[in-house]
Amino acid sequence: MTATELRLTLPATAENMMVVRQAVAGLGEALGLPGMRIADLKTVVSEACNNVVLHAYDEVPGPMLVTAEPGEGELEIEVADEGHGFRPRANEGDASLGLGLPLIAALSDSFEISGGASQGSRTTIRFSYAPPDFSNNGTPTERPEELAMAITPGVMVRPVLARVIGALAARAEFSVDRLADTVLLGDAVSSSEGENFSDGLVALSIRDDTGRLEVRVGPMVTGGGEKLLGEMELPGAVSLRDLASNMEVRGGATPEGEEAEYLVFEVTR
Amino acid sequence: MLTISGEHDLSTAPNLRRRLDSLLDEGAETVIDLSPATFVDSSILGVILDGRRRAADKSVGFAVVHSNGADAVDRVLEVTGLRAELPVHARREDALAAVSGNTGPPA
Repeated sequence: MTATELRLTLPATAENMMVVRQAVAGLGEALGLPGMRIADLKTVVSEACNNVVLHAYDEVPGPMLVTAEPGEGELEIEVADEGHGFRPRANEGDASLGLGLPLIAALSDSFEISGGASQGSRTTIRFSYAPPDFSNNGTPTERPEELAMAITPGVMVRPVLARVIGALAARAEFSVDRLADTVLLGDAVSSSEGENFSDGLVALSIRDDTGRLEVRVGPMVTGGGEKLLGEMELPGAVSLRDLASNMEVRGGATPEGEEAEYLVFEVTR
Repeated sequence: MLTISGEHDLSTAPNLRRRLDSLLDEGAETVIDLSPATFVDSSILGVILDGRRRAADKSVGFAVVHSNGADAVDRVLEVTGLRAELPVHARREDALAAVSGNTGPPA
């Protein structure tokens, strides 16, 4: 145990929340945190404890364990219980309307909840001494225009790809026939070996619009595109290529900037 | 007028809910003054939001005041977006005007 660590074990009751807050406020003072940051600390710990009091135990409150360990520039806080894990609660009346976790998220550097059915839960929070930066107003650096996915080669590829492609085709208002065609094309991609792909994962991106899907398979290694194109030819002079339009292999680069190729095609309803 | 002072959390939320419910049951226009409060948690915010919903259902005036500037309670109202959402008035007069239907400028 570190010399400077605060440990509290107490019954998980609403009445004890105030005790926990006073304890962490004292710790915040000892660490010389500014008043507003002490207030944040009280909020963060309170909300983590609320989850224990509200969700961990049924009738008789069990223990709530709070530890706080000051480190370089930040506190590591842990709130744990020995209950049955978080359960969804329908009685919204007493619940915090889902504001608790967002408050923890907004005022801490990172937080993590672990646990599961029939085991206790644990909320671990990294809380920096400096106030949080609210300048990120939730605007992403760039807006993704397409869905990108990568799947480890194996049993997962076909069912996942078929369902995603099917869902996108349905959203693009494809007829049932064309939807089936699209899934067939997805199956062809699924049968492609991982070694054809640049990083060993079956990767593709799909841009969907009303009436059409634009599929870009890759990044693939050199020759991977042609190989996949060859696999579109079925025995008996049937080609899956006919189900799509503009199917071709295009040169390009991996996100890391290495040379790669893509098989690109378009499916319309 | 319901004035909330000191620290409030899960342990006091049921009591606050009862007081608020009885005001709304009477159909009284309600102003919650959070200015003297030193701490409120998400359960208290939940009670306030429920109160606002009930007031709206009954078409009864409902407003929240916090005139303390940047303190711990203000921080929570800010971070949750409730200061703008409720809205929270910075002056008691504005809140009173808001509940009487004579809506002043928001806080």
